[in-house]
Amino acid sequence: MAPADQSVAPSASREFLANLRHLPRTVKDAWFRLGHSPVSEREESQATFHNLFLHIHSVRVHVRSLAPRLTMGLGIISVSSFIILCISGVLLMVYYKPSTTLAYDSIKDLHYVVFTGRFIRNIHRWSAHVMVAAVFLHMARVFYTASYKKPREFNWLVGLGLLVLTLALSFTGYLLPYDQLAYWAITIGSNIANSPRELTDAVGVTPWFNPGGSQRRLLLGADYVGEDALIRFYVLHVFILPTILITLLGVHFWRVRKDGGLARPEDPMGGTAEWGGKLHKVFEPLKTKTYGLMAVVKGRRATVNRGPENTLMSWPHLFWAELAVFMLTVAIVLILAFHFDAPLKELANPLVPENPAKAPWYFLGLQELVSYSAFMGGLIIPMIAWIGLALIPFLDQQPGGEGVWFGSKGEKLVALQSFFFGLVAVVGLLAFTVNFGWLRSWFPSIHQLWIIFINPGSILVLLYMAWSLWVLKRRNSIRHAAVALFTCFLVGFSVLTYFATVHRGPNWIFYWWPSQWPMH
Amino acid sequence: MNDPSRKYRWLLLGMSLLTIGYLIAAAVRENFLGEWYRVQQEFRTILEAKATDERGKAIARDFRIELKQVSVPRLKVVDRCVSCHNGIDDPRMTTVPAPHAVHPGEILKYHPVDRFGCTICHQGQGAATSLHDAMGVDVAWDYPLLDRNLTEASCLACHDVEKLPQQQVALVLEGKKLYQEKSCGACHRLNGRGGTLGPALDNEGAKTKHQLILTNLAPPHTTWNWHQAHFRDPGGIVPGSQMKNPGLSAQQILALTVFMLAQRLRDVPESYLAPDKLEEKVRRLHPQPENGEQVYHQYCFACHDEGSYGRWDKTFNRFIPAIRGTSLQATATRAYLEVQVAQGRPGTQMPAWGKQAGGLQQAEIESLLNYLQPSNGNRPLKLVSHAPQVPPRGDSNRGAALFIAYCAGCHGIAGLHGIAPEIGNSVFQQAASDEFIVATIRNGRKGTAMPSFQPQVPGALAFSDTDLGDLLAFVRELGRHQTGTSGAPSQSSQSTPSRSNEAPR
Repeated sequence: MAPADQSVAPSASREFLANLRHLPRTVKDAWFRLGHSPVSEREESQATFHNLFLHIHSVRVHVRSLAPRLTMGLGIISVSSFIILCISGVLLMVYYKPSTTLAYDSIKDLHYVVFTGRFIRNIHRWSAHVMVAAVFLHMARVFYTASYKKPREFNWLVGLGLLVLTLALSFTGYLLPYDQLAYWAITIGSNIANSPRELTDAVGVTPWFNPGGSQRRLLLGADYVGEDALIRFYVLHVFILPTILITLLGVHFWRVRKDGGLARPEDPMGGTAEWGGKLHKVFEPLKTKTYGLMAVVKGRRATVNRGPENTLMSWPHLFWAELAVFMLTVAIVLILAFHFDAPLKELANPLVPENPAKAPWYFLGLQELVSYSAFMGGLIIPMIAWIGLALIPFLDQQPGGEGVWFGSKGEKLVALQSFFFGLVAVVGLLAFTVNFGWLRSWFPSIHQLWIIFINPGSILVLLYMAWSLWVLKRRNSIRHAAVALFTCFLVGFSVLTYFATVHRGPNWIFYWWPSQWPMH
Repeated sequence: MNDPSRKYRWLLLGMSLLTIGYLIAAAVRENFLGEWYRVQQEFRTILEAKATDERGKAIARDFRIELKQVSVPRLKVVDRCVSCHNGIDDPRMTTVPAPHAVHPGEILKYHPVDRFGCTICHQGQGAATSLHDAMGVDVAWDYPLLDRNLTEASCLACHDVEKLPQQQVALVLEGKKLYQEKSCGACHRLNGRGGTLGPALDNEGAKTKHQLILTNLAPPHTTWNWHQAHFRDPGGIVPGSQMKNPGLSAQQILALTVFMLAQRLRDVPESYLAPDKLEEKVRRLHPQPENGEQVYHQYCFACHDEGSYGRWDKTFNRFIPAIRGTSLQATATRAYLEVQVAQGRPGTQMPAWGKQAGGLQQAEIESLLNYLQPSNGNRPLKLVSHAPQVPPRGDSNRGAALFIAYCAGCHGIAGLHGIAPEIGNSVFQQAASDEFIVATIRNGRKGTAMPSFQPQVPGALAFSDTDLGDLLAFVRELGRHQTGTSGAPSQSSQSTPSRSNEAPR
C-alpha cells in the first residue's frame, strides 16, 4: 500500500505545482486562443470569425468600403457615441434620483461634488448631440450613395426606426434634470403630442374623441409635467428605449453583413486584380457548381460568387479603421465636454414659463412648423416626411449608382438645383410669414380648419412635392425625383431648425439675433 | 497598397493621445484647480501660524483638504459654503482676510452653522463650490446671495421683527414704517389687508427675477436691484404702471426694498420659529383693530391725500373726491359712507374695503367713518337753507338733456367712465338717497371741481327745482340701466369699464 501511495502522490502534487506554475500562461492561452498575433490570412480570418464581437464583420472587406470618402465614418460615429452614452449614462444613474424633489439637487451634486461628475454629465450631453447629428448625416450619406436599394430596403427601414429611437432617447433624457429648460421643453413636446386636439377642437368632437389628449396622458401619466412624467421618461430613457435600440442596432449590423457589406458598384468580371500585394487572376465561378454559404468561411475563398479581389482582411485593416473612428468620436466628445458645460437652468417652476420655451434643437424645425399649426406641423408633416423616407426604396427600384456619391448621371446637378429651390422656397416663405403674417392676422375670425390645412408648413411641403414631381417628369427618373425631394426636405429642415434656434425670441417673435431679445 | 490602414493607425494614435491628454487635464482640473482647494491650502497655513498651544497644533494637523458641507435635512439645506469659509466658527480668525475670517457679530452663537446652514439667511447657491456659482447672480439660480445689508430681511422667516434688537433690523423696521406711511396698502394687499389695484405682496420676497420685468433695468439683474430702481421710478421700470412715485431717499428706498425681500411665505419647521413668531402668527389671525386715522393713512391716503379737497390724478386721469371735505361731511349719511367704504366703486380704482375684500374689520370701518365724519353721523341732512324740499322726480327725457349739457362732460355720458366720480355706478345708486343727490347738485362740493348748480349769486347759472326733479329722474334711470331693470340704452353701462382693466396685476 505504502509504495503505491508514494508512486501516485508525488506525481499528482508535482503536476498540481506544475499547473500552478504555468497558471499565467494557461489562463492567457484560454483567453487568447491563437497564442500570438495572427500572421497568415487564415489566422486573421479565425481571429475575426471566432470572436463573438468581431464575427458580425465579414473576414474580408472591400477597399471601397474602407475608404473614408464613402462613409465618412458616420455609422461608426453614431454607434460610438451610443457606446459613450451607455457608459456615461450608467455612471450618471448611480447618482441620479428620478424624483421631482431630488432630481435637480442630484444634478447639482453631480456638477459640484461628485468626482468628475460634471465632466461625465457633459460627456453624456455632448455625445447625445453628436449621436443625433451623426444619425441624420448617416441617413443622408446612405441616401446620396443610393445605398438603400435592393437588397438593402429592409435595412433602410431599420435605420429609420433607429432614427426615431435616437430622437426619442434624446427627448426623454431632456426632462431628467428637471430644470426650467427641461420642464418647458417637455411641456412643448407633450403639447405637440396633444396637437390632434387642434383638429378635433376645430371640428368640435373633442369631448367624445380626443386622441391628442390620450396620447399626451399616456406620455406624461397626467395632464401636466410632474412626478409621473419624470418616472415615465426615466424608465423609457434608461431601460425601454435603449433595449429596443440595442436590439435594432444588432439587426442593423446583421443586415449590413447579410446584404453583402456596404453598398458598392460591382467589380468587373474577368481579368486580373491585385490582392495581397500580388496580381491574381480574377476568380470566375463555375456554372456547374453551387457556392454555398459555408464556403464563405470554411474554404480558401472568402466571398461567394466572387474572388477576393480588391478586398482586404478585416483583421486588422477594418478594425484599425473602426477603432480609429471610435477614438475620434471619443476625442471630439471629450474636447466638447471639457470646454463647454451642459446647460442647467433654475429648478423647474410651473409658475414661471421660460420665454421663449424651446424644444431640443433637433425639434426646433418642427416647433417652427408647430407655431403655424400644431397638428399640421407637429404631427402630419413629420409623419408625411417619415413615411416618404420609408417608401423611397420601394418607389425607386431601378438599380444603379449604389455605393457612389450622386452615382447616376445628372444626379449632382439635380441635387444642386434642388438645394437652391429648397432654400429659396423655405427662406421666401419664412420671410413672407415674418413680414406679412398669415391667415389669422388677415382674417382674425377665420375658422381654424383653414389654418390647419393652409399654413406656411403645408405650403412648403406642397412646393417641395411639386418640385419633385416636376423633376420626375422632366428628368424621367424616379431616383432624380427622390434626390430632389430628399434634398429639399433636408434644406427645409436645416433652415427651419436654424431659423427657430437663432431668430425666434420671446413669444416666438422674429429677432435678428438673440442679443436683441427683451430681458424677461 | 503597402499598408492600407496606416492612416487609420495614425488617426487612432493621435486621437488616443488627445483623449488621454484631456482625461488627465480633467482629473487635474477636478482635483487641484478647484477654488476651494487653494483656499483650504491658505487656511491650513493660517491654522499653522495661529497654532500656539497643543490644541491649536492638533487642529492644524487634523485639517484635511477636502470638500466640506453642512447638511440640514429639516431645512432642505446642503451648504458647501464652508468649503471656503473654513474659519467662520473659529474665534481666532478675527484679523484674517475674507473667506477665512470668523463670522461677524454674535449671530452664530444663537444660530449654530450645523443647525441652520448658511443659505437660510444669506440665500445664494449653497450647493456650489465656487464663489461665482455660489453667489448665483449671473448663473441660473433663483435666489442669489443677498448683499450684506439686505440679509436682515431673512430674520423675518423665524422672528417677529418687532421683538428683535432694533439696530439689527433697522432697515426692515424703517421699511415697515414707510409701507404704512406711504399708504402702500391702498393698492397692495399684504397679510390679508389692502387694495387690489397693484399686485399682492405677501410673497414678494420669494419672487425670482424672471417674474419681474427686467427690460428697463440696468444690470445686475437681481430682485433687490429691481426693487430699488422701481421705487426710484415705477413707470420707468414697469411701462404703463399706475404706481405713484413714492418720492423716497436712497436710504428709504433701501429700507423698503429690504421690507419687500422680507415678505416671503416660507415653510420653516415649527421648531425653528422663535416663540414671538408664533405669537405674531396668532396676532395675524386675530388682529387688533386700528384706529380711524391709522386706517385712513394706510389705505386711503395714497389716492385721497388728506381728503379735504378734490385732487386731479394724472395717472388715473380723473378727479379723486374729497372724502373728508366739509360738503360731503355735511351731506352724507353714515350709512351712505359705510356702503362706499365697504363696497367701493366696482369698475373704478376704488376697491371695496369690507372684511371679504380689502380686509378691514367692521370696528375699523366704524372708526374710519368717525375719522371721515368727526361730528359723527346719524344727524339730519343739512339741506340748503332756502330750499329744504327735495323736488319730486320729473321728466327724465328733459333730465337727460340737462345731464348731457351740464354733467356728462365730467361724469361721463351714462354717469360712467368720466373723469369725475361715477354716479351711474351701482354701489352709488344703491346707497345714495334722492336727498343726497339733490343736495349735492344744489350745493356742489367745496374744495373740488363740482360746482353748485343753485348758487346764491345773481346772474349765475341756476337750476330750477323742476330742472332738479327732471335731472334726478334721469340720474335714477342711470341706476336702473345698471341693474338692468329697463332696456340698456347705452352699451357701456352694461359692460365692464375698460379703463380699470389697465391696472397691472
